[in-house]
Amino acid sequence: MNVNNGQTLSISGQDSTRNGSSSSRAPWEDARMVLKPTTPTRKPKPPKPENAITIAVSARVLFNMEKEQHIYEHQGMEEYIKYQVEHETEPFNPGPAFSFVKALEAVNARLRELYQESEELFDVVLVTNNHAYVGLRLINTINHHRLFIERFCMTGGNSPIGYLKAYHTNLYLSADPVKVREALEEGIAAATMFTPEKMKEVSDNQLRVAFDGDAVLFSDESERIFKAHGLDKFFEHEKAHENKPLDHGPLKGFLEALGKLQKKFYAKGQRMDCPIRTYLVTARSAASSGTRALKTLRSWGLEIDEALFLAGAPKGPMLEKIRPHIFFDDQMFHVEGAAELGTVACHVPYGIAQRVIKKGFMDKDASPSGQ
Amino acid sequence: MVSTVQNTDIEQKDAEHAVVVAMTFKAVFGSDDGDDVYGAGVAFTLLQALQTVNERLLLENPSEMLLFDIILITTDRQQQQQSDRIMSSTRHHGLQIHRFCFSCEDDFTDSLLQNKVHLFLSTDKNETVQAASRGVLSALVDHQTTLCSSQQLKVVFCGDSIVQPDADINAASRQAAEVFSAQLGEMRRRFGALDSPLSIVVMTSSGGRDSCCSALRTLRTRGLSVDEAHCLAGAPRGIILSVLRPHFQLSDGLSGLQD
Repeated sequence: MNVNNGQTLSISGQDSTRNGSSSSRAPWEDARMVLKPTTPTRKPKPPKPENAITIAVSARVLFNMEKEQHIYEHQGMEEYIKYQVEHETEPFNPGPAFSFVKALEAVNARLRELYQESEELFDVVLVTNNHAYVGLRLINTINHHRLFIERFCMTGGNSPIGYLKAYHTNLYLSADPVKVREALEEGIAAATMFTPEKMKEVSDNQLRVAFDGDAVLFSDESERIFKAHGLDKFFEHEKAHENKPLDHGPLKGFLEALGKLQKKFYAKGQRMDCPIRTYLVTARSAASSGTRALKTLRSWGLEIDEALFLAGAPKGPMLEKIRPHIFFDDQMFHVEGAAELGTVACHVPYGIAQRVIKKGFMDKDASPSGQ
Repeated sequence: MVSTVQNTDIEQKDAEHAVVVAMTFKAVFGSDDGDDVYGAGVAFTLLQALQTVNERLLLENPSEMLLFDIILITTDRQQQQQSDRIMSSTRHHGLQIHRFCFSCEDDFTDSLLQNKVHLFLSTDKNETVQAASRGVLSALVDHQTTLCSSQQLKVVFCGDSIVQPDADINAASRQAAEVFSAQLGEMRRRFGALDSPLSIVVMTSSGGRDSCCSALRTLRTRGLSVDEAHCLAGAPRGIILSVLRPHFQLSDGLSGLQD
């Protein structure tokens, strides 16, 4: 059932049915909805930004707007807006962040079952540079796909950074690398999301998040050594400093937030059935340099469910086995490798790896500002 | 006794086609320090922004008549008696005020109606309530306004009130809001999506996305296309407003700010 007049009568997503709790509404509440259709829907209230784990997503990563983006790039802003308004009632197809957002909602549903009063939940906010004229098509699409997104900022061409801060954003995902860099500079965890040509199917009842280690969870200090002095020096250095924790990287906070939610499931005896699973996928080797990575995590009090030390092997095939909803890496080489095999991979433009010019890749990064 | 005087230093606007904006003495000049010339009030940047819009409109079309027509209105007897100082201060600061309306407490709302004011701006909440009760669209300006841009006029429409209008609003108030929305809509259409001197914002505070959606549609039926939309769904307003920096906020027919 698709009600596109702006009034939805469903509660947050269909996930509650999938997860076994058939309806959290009592029969008289159903009756009330039928009798007074103008009553606001019985959706749960969004949590306060300071209590929630806020994930800000841009329109182009949440939905597939390739055709519209093409019109914007080749025919300009006015044509783009005109096209959007003309197709206002046509919902967009899902974009690369869609399954990630659905998985977040699934986790929320499980959390609400266990902790009815808590506001420690994921809160997804749409933060887009689009004008509000385009906004109606986005809202129609959110309704169509029954996403639970109640907060949004359509900035009409202005920078989103101030709003990201206002919402205490824990993670910002965008297709625009310029905005992502700006966000990182302001201390907000952010990554540029790419669309794989063919997206692999992912779990719909367990959120899986995969991280690279250096310059993502950790600082880029070790990578600098590797780039300056080579692999042998890198191994020596890591062995010598095994017990000295690495400095933190831009996505450490996000892993921490995931860990906090995981502990809430463990507290209710759901460790084996936890709907959140985290992975470290690193080029470090288990035998040597990997130890420092694990010890660092332990010193931070953070757990990671699976650590995969590839000793330099390509990450794509491993990620294909894991099927994460999202994978973060600071090197475009790995991001592209992952995307080639169907993983939704995001580039974290942080650290020494960004100063190395890679032929051909840089052009693909560019996208028009104002989107 | 009300007297309305034209500012002979600047070109008059055609009041029939213009958007008439009245600002109180206190908004324009702040308080009386006893000097010969009054100092700047909170609405200075707002005045400059209105002027920027006029200049840009005339750039697009030199014979444009849909412009802002600005009136300074006194609302107490004491101010009313300072007409010379008011006019000379205006001249001193080079303010683009087209007319002066010297009235007092008893008849200032009459003056608003006589001058067919479309929008009344004041630093005093009581004054805005009074004006609204006579069906004049009103908004508050305060010290936040000083932090706004002088290059772009930013107006926030508070969506929750559009969608769930307060029962107290009278029909005249509702109509005033509709008329102003339509005028702003036409002005906005004179410019493209980017680099516009006028920015229209919708903000819904408590409702979910559906209420913001309704607000956008309602304004569209009034002929107003919206640039920015912010749906807070209960998130704190203050911090979002401090990023937005609107010059003033409009609630349908009500006199301005909530909390």
